[in-house]
Amino acid sequence: MDILTNLAFGLKVAGEPYNLMVAVAGLVLGVIVGVLPGLGGANGCAILIPVTFVMPPVAAVILLASLYWGALYGGCICSILFNIPGEPWAVATTFDGYPMAKKGQAGRALSAAFFAHFCGAILGTICLTFFSPLLAAFALRFGPPEVFGVMLLTFSAFVGLVGKSPVKTLVATAFGFIMAAVGIDIVSGELRMTFGLTPLMGGFNFIVAVIGLFGIGEILLTVEEGLKFEGVKVRMRWSDITSTLTDMKRYWKTLVLGSFVGVWMGFKPGGATPASFMAYGFAKEAMNEEERAQFGQGHVAGIFAPESAAHAAGTSAMIPMITLGIPGSPTAAVILGGLMIWGLQPGPMLFVDKPEFVWGLIASTWYGNIIGLFIVLAFAPAFAAVLRTPFPILMPLLIFICAIGAYAVNNRMIDIWYMMIFGVIGWAFKKLDYNMAPMLLALVLGDMAESAMRQSLIMSQGSLLIFLHPPITLPLVIAAAVIGSWPWLAPMVRRMRGKGAGKSAGH
Amino acid sequence: MTTKTADILVAIVLSCFGLIVVWDSLRLGAGWGMGGPKGGFFPFIMAVIALAGCVVIVMQAMKGTSSVKGSKPFVPSGGMKPVLTVFLPACGMVLLTEVVGLYVSAMIYLAAYIRIVGGYRWRTVLLVSIPVPLVFYWLFEKIFLIPMPAGMFGAQILRF
Repeated sequence: MDILTNLAFGLKVAGEPYNLMVAVAGLVLGVIVGVLPGLGGANGCAILIPVTFVMPPVAAVILLASLYWGALYGGCICSILFNIPGEPWAVATTFDGYPMAKKGQAGRALSAAFFAHFCGAILGTICLTFFSPLLAAFALRFGPPEVFGVMLLTFSAFVGLVGKSPVKTLVATAFGFIMAAVGIDIVSGELRMTFGLTPLMGGFNFIVAVIGLFGIGEILLTVEEGLKFEGVKVRMRWSDITSTLTDMKRYWKTLVLGSFVGVWMGFKPGGATPASFMAYGFAKEAMNEEERAQFGQGHVAGIFAPESAAHAAGTSAMIPMITLGIPGSPTAAVILGGLMIWGLQPGPMLFVDKPEFVWGLIASTWYGNIIGLFIVLAFAPAFAAVLRTPFPILMPLLIFICAIGAYAVNNRMIDIWYMMIFGVIGWAFKKLDYNMAPMLLALVLGDMAESAMRQSLIMSQGSLLIFLHPPITLPLVIAAAVIGSWPWLAPMVRRMRGKGAGKSAGH
Repeated sequence: MTTKTADILVAIVLSCFGLIVVWDSLRLGAGWGMGGPKGGFFPFIMAVIALAGCVVIVMQAMKGTSSVKGSKPFVPSGGMKPVLTVFLPACGMVLLTEVVGLYVSAMIYLAAYIRIVGGYRWRTVLLVSIPVPLVFYWLFEKIFLIPMPAGMFGAQILRF
């Protein structure tokens, strides 16, 4: 099998001592970043990107990807021990994780969460390994109109399926694209929206936006809510791990279901949060009366389901990133941005041009998730201790680290100021339900989306009909139209159904 | 300020930016140029979408159909003070960076914040605020060779 040969090659690349060392460093940093409030996978990757300039691309991507897996693993420590979801998809875990920790089963809850992560990761990685090459081979036939169609589908999925306010998501996305356009127009070479100001000529860097929106903004939200980090103390014992293994045998269906939901939803952008809630709901439905009543009071299946789904979704978010150049999660978006900075052209050609890069990444996903499980199992209490750092010490340190990350991208002082401004924007946007993930994605993909659109129009000499060509573009555009307008279509469909049902039930 | 007011205010600010973008893209030309769409074409479309969206946001906020609860205060009572105690010193640090460079400014910032806001003993203050920036200095300037802003005088202060 072609794929297995490639995977073996990748395992050799990722297994080199230097790359393994980088992976472990990434994992440890990732867990810390996942545990800390105000930092997450996306933020951690953004701050580390300047450090990767001194590495070969393979090691660089392994570092960032490992940090991503570590952050996924670490996120649940915060939600189980402190009842504070570090990431939106960890909300469902607090329902059962925190009650279990309060009952004195913190170790069992954590080991259940880690093993659930592992199951999700394995299924996600299997899909990443075997599905990506096929998708990439298919995507090789894509020209500018098809690329534009995929972009359209991605962003309409955000508008239609993610977030509380579709219209605000749309506005945020539009501003992401506008910010991406600031600076020199790559097609005509003209200066756009710079208004004669030199700092604007360099445009807005997405790394600075990530650090501001997700880092500083999150810190401001945390202090405003006045969260107190009073967590449950934890010790991991052998018996916790063995009892998790029995739990796993008993609730293997929950794990498999959660992982499948995760992979399926994670493939679409912004899928991890709905995946975790869906998996939790499904798991609850599948139980008998007696066990269902225990949900929310500390049932171990209530941890298995959302955590396996979240990690599977995080992993499968890499599939569209590596094959189409369209990331499925904010962290994948930052990694994609890193790719561009390292001088790689994202998209299906990567599989042809840079096999050692692609397969090194896929293989490191295997290594990373397996090593990650052992790291978190062994050192969970130590990582939890990081969160016990008093807030007045932790917070200025976080801001200092954010400033380093923001400056290091371009060595521009103005970027640190932009970071502070983005922080305020992030704080206000979050409170008003503006969705920032698609805004970030638009900022990363702006140039690609715009050139795909303009090249298509040049190909068709200005006719919009090029976006309605079968066999690939047309279905993509139709799907995008339906999904994007779903929030407005759904009530109509419901009303029509409601009328129909009313008639058939007629008195 | 209620959330409703903030909601409308943010939408108005965003539409002002949208109008600026429309104006600039019209200056560049938003139509068909020599063999392809002109430079202002794509930003123009995005700005129009954003403007239309802002109108809907304002309408939703007025009618009370917005997804956020309009009657709630935008910043919960007692929430503004902690936000400002984090934000203003951070801005101070950035401002100070322009003068003495990031590392020295971080030392002053960390020390001041941990001492004044945190109320910790001087021993704790010095144990965090001096070594941490030095470790980062060593990591970034010597290992990764990524220079941080030195400000006007930073290069004279940190000379090892």
